[in-house]
Amino acid sequence: MTTARSGFSFVQNRIAALRRAVVAEVEDLNRLIFHVLRGGVVVSVALLLFGFVLGGLTGHPLPVHTTSLRDLSLELFKFNPDGYLSLGVLLLIFTPMVRVFLSLIAFAEERDWTYVLLTGIVFANLLVGVILVG
Amino acid sequence: MSPIEVLLILAIAAFLAGFAGSFLGIGGGILLIPFMTLVLAIPIKAAIATSLIGVIATSSGAASVYVRDHLTNLRLAMFLEVGTTLGAIAGAFIGIFVEAIYLYFVFGAAMLYAAATMARRRETAKDRAYREGEEPPLVKRLNLSSVYFDQEDQAVYRYRVDRVGAGFGASAAAGVASGLLGVGGGFIKVPAMNVIMHVPMKAAVATSNFMIGVTAAASAFIYYSHDLVNPAYAAMVIIGVFTGTNLGTRLLVRSKASNVRIVFAILLSAIGIAMAARAFFPGVVP
Repeated sequence: MTTARSGFSFVQNRIAALRRAVVAEVEDLNRLIFHVLRGGVVVSVALLLFGFVLGGLTGHPLPVHTTSLRDLSLELFKFNPDGYLSLGVLLLIFTPMVRVFLSLIAFAEERDWTYVLLTGIVFANLLVGVILVG
Repeated sequence: MSPIEVLLILAIAAFLAGFAGSFLGIGGGILLIPFMTLVLAIPIKAAIATSLIGVIATSSGAASVYVRDHLTNLRLAMFLEVGTTLGAIAGAFIGIFVEAIYLYFVFGAAMLYAAATMARRRETAKDRAYREGEEPPLVKRLNLSSVYFDQEDQAVYRYRVDRVGAGFGASAAAGVASGLLGVGGGFIKVPAMNVIMHVPMKAAVATSNFMIGVTAAASAFIYYSHDLVNPAYAAMVIIGVFTGTNLGTRLLVRSKASNVRIVFAILLSAIGIAMAARAFFPGVVP
């Protein structure tokens, strides 16, 4: 009788622990996505403000054209405000892409191959655009 | 107007668009583009490219909150994003190569459609109730049905997703609209998810917002590579939208705002007609 009861409570505890683990995992992914999306926008805004301040201090005229990925590092190195504005804009566009990549990893960890495939297609679609920018 | 004045006005407009957008569940782009073209006289293709950047800022800002609050159906979002990103790429290429006059006309039509969806009736508890019956095999395979916590009702709702094929098609159309017109396309996706796929309204809005960022990113890269993004304009829109959305999302969770929606629907229709009219009378309409 006692063994049956302790066995039952053991199973119950295991189920509770398993559920906590599952909830924690979903929670972690959600939290990570939250920080990536939020952080991407915040850093982007910071770069844009820095670009404007830099432009104001140096009396640099406001840019009309964006910098391509190829020329970006050089512009940043020269402390050209155009580069910082372009980087802020690009970083914002890249943020959802990072999010998709994180989802890809999360689905792979769950061994959910259907969703690995679907997420992979979405990521590939975004890469089409990146290749064009390059 | 001097360039600095244009930038400041744009930042204020972006703030208001981001605020109204998150408050009313409609992306800021549909307000921002008519403002940029009709008031600030920015060419429509540059306005579309700039707006797309603002759309990403809105989505990332708002979506992060929704994900934290467990309103977003991540699987459904990922599945439909396959359709929206493909549509967005197609839309961006059409948008870049088509003559501007067609864009005005299509944009006006899209605004009228958005106004019509705003005037829809409110969702009742019965609509949210779980429907019994066998799930379609594809829905089961994709594991799309989910639960969400409704803060207003203080209750957890379980829901099943229906008609994924039609929903996927509507999402692809929303993607084309997004890439072509520089809007988020929530006005197509939210009714599609709610009416066709039977996703509860709040989960549909959150999931749509979540998808908008990825959809807009797909076409934003293409506009960027064709040198249609003006970095100074984009910067102002990002900063304005970011602050406006932050304020708006904080209010959204508790607001009902049904009267505001009707007024807003009328306003959208009026601006939509003005945009479409510009296609026919380019000299008359400013």
